[in-house]
Amino acid sequence: MTSRRWRGWVAIGAVVGLGLVLSFTLTERYHHRVLTLVFLWATMGLAWNIISGYAGQISFGHQAFFGIGAYVTVILAAKFHLTPWLGMLAGAGVAVLAAVLIGMPTFRLAGIYFGLATLAYPLIFRIVMEFLGYQEVAIPMVREQPGLFMQFSDPRHFDLLALAILAATLVLSRLVETSRLGYSLRAIKENEQAAEAMGVDSFRCKMIAYMLSAAPAAVVGAVYAHAILFVVTPDAVFGVLVIVQTLTVCLVGGAGTLWGPLIGAAIMIPVSEILDTTVGDRLPGIQGVVYGAALMAVMMYAPEGLYWRVRNTLLARRAASDEPIRPAPVPAAAGPAAATAPAAPGTVLMDVRGVSKAFLGLQALSDVSFDVREGEILGIIGPNGAGKTTLFNVLNGFLLPEGGDVRWLGKSITGLQPHVICRRGVGRTFQVMRLFPRLTVLENVMVGAFAHGGSPDHARARARTALEMVGLVGRADAVPTGLTTLELRLMELARCLVTSPKLLLLDEPLAGLSAEGVELMSAMIRRARASGATVAIIEHTIQALVKLADRLVVLDQGRRLAEGRPGDVTRNPAVIEAYLGKRWLARHGATHAEDLRA
Amino acid sequence: MARLARTVALALALLLTVPLVGAPPAVAVDDVKIALVAPLSGRWARQGQLKKMGAEMAIEEINSQGGIKALGGAKIVLREADAGDSVEKAVSAAQRVLTREKISAGIGSWLSSFTLGVTEVSERLQVPWLTLSYADSITERGFKYTFQTSPVSSAQAEQALDLVVDLAKRNNQPIRKAALVGDNTAATVFFFKPLREKLLQAKGIELVVDEVWTPPLADATSIVQKIRATQPDIVFYGATNFPDSIQVLQKVKEFGVKTHIQGVGAWLVTPEYVKTVGKELLDNIQSVVAAHPVKGQEEMVKKFVQRTGEPFMTQDPLCTYAHVWLIKEAIEQAKSADPKAIRDALAKIDLTTGPAASTLYPGRIRFDERGRRIGAVPLIVQWQNGEPFTVVPANLATRPVVWHK
Amino acid sequence: MVASELTQYVVTGLLVGGVYALMSIGLALIFGVMRVVNFAQGDFMMLGMYLTYYYAVGLGIDPLLGALFTIPPFFVIGLLVHRAFLARVTGGGDPNREMDAQLILTLGMSLIITNATTMILSPTPRGIRTAYATQAFAVGPLLLNQARSYAFAMALLLAAAVYVFLTRTDLGRALRAAADDPEAASYQAINVRAMHGVAFGVGIALVAAAGGLLATYYPIEPTVAVNFIVLMFVAVVLGGLGSIPGAFVGGIAIGLVQSLTLLVLPLQLQNVGVFVAFLVVLYVRPQGLFGRRARTV
Repeated sequence: MTSRRWRGWVAIGAVVGLGLVLSFTLTERYHHRVLTLVFLWATMGLAWNIISGYAGQISFGHQAFFGIGAYVTVILAAKFHLTPWLGMLAGAGVAVLAAVLIGMPTFRLAGIYFGLATLAYPLIFRIVMEFLGYQEVAIPMVREQPGLFMQFSDPRHFDLLALAILAATLVLSRLVETSRLGYSLRAIKENEQAAEAMGVDSFRCKMIAYMLSAAPAAVVGAVYAHAILFVVTPDAVFGVLVIVQTLTVCLVGGAGTLWGPLIGAAIMIPVSEILDTTVGDRLPGIQGVVYGAALMAVMMYAPEGLYWRVRNTLLARRAASDEPIRPAPVPAAAGPAAATAPAAPGTVLMDVRGVSKAFLGLQALSDVSFDVREGEILGIIGPNGAGKTTLFNVLNGFLLPEGGDVRWLGKSITGLQPHVICRRGVGRTFQVMRLFPRLTVLENVMVGAFAHGGSPDHARARARTALEMVGLVGRADAVPTGLTTLELRLMELARCLVTSPKLLLLDEPLAGLSAEGVELMSAMIRRARASGATVAIIEHTIQALVKLADRLVVLDQGRRLAEGRPGDVTRNPAVIEAYLGKRWLARHGATHAEDLRA
Repeated sequence: MARLARTVALALALLLTVPLVGAPPAVAVDDVKIALVAPLSGRWARQGQLKKMGAEMAIEEINSQGGIKALGGAKIVLREADAGDSVEKAVSAAQRVLTREKISAGIGSWLSSFTLGVTEVSERLQVPWLTLSYADSITERGFKYTFQTSPVSSAQAEQALDLVVDLAKRNNQPIRKAALVGDNTAATVFFFKPLREKLLQAKGIELVVDEVWTPPLADATSIVQKIRATQPDIVFYGATNFPDSIQVLQKVKEFGVKTHIQGVGAWLVTPEYVKTVGKELLDNIQSVVAAHPVKGQEEMVKKFVQRTGEPFMTQDPLCTYAHVWLIKEAIEQAKSADPKAIRDALAKIDLTTGPAASTLYPGRIRFDERGRRIGAVPLIVQWQNGEPFTVVPANLATRPVVWHK
Repeated sequence: MVASELTQYVVTGLLVGGVYALMSIGLALIFGVMRVVNFAQGDFMMLGMYLTYYYAVGLGIDPLLGALFTIPPFFVIGLLVHRAFLARVTGGGDPNREMDAQLILTLGMSLIITNATTMILSPTPRGIRTAYATQAFAVGPLLLNQARSYAFAMALLLAAAVYVFLTRTDLGRALRAAADDPEAASYQAINVRAMHGVAFGVGIALVAAAGGLLATYYPIEPTVAVNFIVLMFVAVVLGGLGSIPGAFVGGIAIGLVQSLTLLVLPLQLQNVGVFVAFLVVLYVRPQGLFGRRARTV
């Protein structure tokens, strides 16, 4: 393990150690209760963080699992005398099952729709539990062997129990963070479609994350019922206050990191209790006002959460004291540039047959057919609105065509998910760059490296190699916001290359580059072809492609207008008319490619 | 950035002054401390405040009359703790107040789920606890330190039904059809259950409407439509959420439904009803309550009204008032402020005189081994001209009952 | 079931839904333009109810009119609140990041508003005594509660006014531009931050007015928001986040579903009907009834 990784585990150990120390040094009952609350809510926050922080799928309904854990445990104890130690495992099982049932339909919803849809479930559960007569389930006090029923007379035992669950969830979070799943989740959070295009099965990842986040939440609910509530009401465990507390703890501390919920709980819960103790009883209501003000103050000071704020401040300060960042030299194109295409046309890798796609009455693509042959660099050109990007979206699975078929290596891939197509060997970059902005350059590329499996270490090594190839390895630990357009495009290219594609679909990789940059990118593309890949490039301007491409396909208003060698295509009157208009054609006639500077 | 820093500094400063503001006032060493855990902020703040008013009046009376004689005139001091609006906060409040100082006894917490949670703490910490909550479950846990002075819901159902059927018969309007309309909170559920399952049938009364809702109620039309269609002679009504209860009453008036409304609980006799729906709408509506000022308590009521500005006194302050006096009596008998001794005194107390006994009908305070008050019977209160009066039992009534349909 | 009974259920649902609809439009506008999930929306409604109450008992203004008079002061309050607090954490262009902050920010606001109101104005419930709260229009066999009918009519008028404002006035168009594409809007010399302020102001003013209308038949207490906040959110999401007509239709739909659910489910499960319908709609149309499909690549 790298030193950075060791540090993470040591830090977790330190936190657990601190928890132990506190548990043994505190004497007052009430203080133990506060400590238990801190541990429990921190754990709930960590559980929520797995799906909402790492994966970015903000859930407003996590209390569903919390409540399931509480009710299953308590009802099994009350009706069947089952010890809650086993009952909470049953609760966790039911919660995981619920996660699957809830997740399956609900993950189809994007963004905040997902979050608000999840809110409906605990609301439903709450009403149903009241309807079934479980308004107030008092946990029957067990006087013989209370420990067997999770009833401790010494409040310290509750702290230790809660601390144990916290420790387990910290370990779980850390394992997720450092695993392939963790990288995939973060990629999904940053840009789900790009992640899909890099081979990440986003539905499966989200579902696993959801299941992993449901189990600890249920266990917390079970312990909360026994340690804190003593009487379970639908409102107390399925109610809005649960998710409010979870959100407070996570968002104040910082989402997307396991330190966030810890910090959030360690600060906000004692603050709340101190307010209750000091002023709340004498001037009821004031504690709500001050607490609300504290929340507002924290959010205005650290909107991204305290952990990130402190971290970024420290990093910025450290960076400022470093030597000034020198602009990275334009990466030298290593290796020979293979400029010529193989003499004989290669086998057909991708066969596009009669693809049509319409959007609300607008026919974006009409019966487009062409093929992509092994080893070639195929250019796809056309004026604005010709449907080029739409075509790529169909080819790599983002869109479903109304008519036609796309065949890859002899098999139809129409209708397959983007990540499946990626794993079959079709890589993609995007016209508007789709980065993972909060991952480092190396991590961005690593996401692609996972396309064909492997451990994070393996992926890291392959990513490094890819970065070396494009000359970016010096920027491996930088965040994308600091990079130039050329560097970003190279990074995207590296990320695509590391998925080991047989075909690269490059969408306007030269846009926004200087002449130097265009030269360099073109060299990279030729290198990629030289190492065995086939390339299909969309470009808006013909100039650059004329030198790069072996063949051109011209689209105009969704139709294939022409196809052939660059020289022929650029002299084609129909093509000139499409770019420059009838009148221009009439005036100047069909001349050279240089005129087609659109 | 400077502005932000200033805001943060201000917020921190505010936070730091909090301990200064919140420091409890100095208290003499041998004062007797009674805890009151009730909702003082949030949704049920009004109820908690009413309870506090009752407790404070009793404490002031006791202290001005010489304090606790058996302890050499020791004064009583109230330690209130805000139960807020969640079970977590209520239980925390109980933990807090019971471990911070030596508390001799406690009272609270209005909402039966809060009471259930709070008494779990008081039971474990062995501090005697008095509550006015009706729910049966409170004294069905085998606890030794919990004392429930109100008649329990299921008993209230039977007793109230008897009283009401009797009243109706005496007014030549026998009850043949009944409606159960209410929310699914515990007290209402416990009251309706025996009615629904056996009591109505036993009296030959047909249950024609059975409408229970989960608060908040969106609209009362469907409920009142059914009442209008079936024309029950009596509607047992349990709606602890104020806006819900208003909606049904308004809708009854709107639809011109004439029926006898029999509330279940003291929530229906608070002053805010008059200000919200007016006294005409409330006229003659009755409610079954655990306590209400009876004949002979006019002085006490006058004092309360003057102290607090409330238009009249209702169950919540009244019960808390009685509880404080009851604790005082127990301490006198135990000759000690030790919680365990007080508990033992309460367990064997047999009180027939004093403000506590005269408030808790029928005037004798004894507890069974579960902690339930033996012989507890509810009262019936009726709105007349904008004020609720005790009408049953007749000998303690402050106004005669008016019965019409 | 007799036709007139069924019609009564439908009518009841519509009347209830009308006020939900008005409550929800404000939330939709705020979300549509600012991408802010305003936790404190219900509390501003509560403040609007209190203001309407004071208009009624202090100045003798009927609450139907009083509701309208809450609009100017609450618009100003909204502008100020946005300027002082929200502007610091929103409008920076990264809605995902900001979502976290403004959730907690508005939550903090909600706590302050509710608790301060409880402390200053006391938790005792109040009500405005209107004659028409307990009277009904008799239309054939149907009974239409007068207060709710007037509130419904006013809600429609206000919603229509909002619609006209958004589609026919320059300011309204600027608001919509800032909602659709803040970057492009700023290139058109639209001050996106100011637009956010306006949107928040209008959103708060609308929900305050809704509160005023609600106060014609509903009692007023500092925690009244809890009875409506969930339904507001459901209406907005159902209609399609950011769509004003959607939120309106969503509110009406919820009222209808609540009422019609009673035909199949017991009264206790009334809101289960609403939430199940909500989920069904989202699964069939993930963008909500009127929402626009999220842009693909």
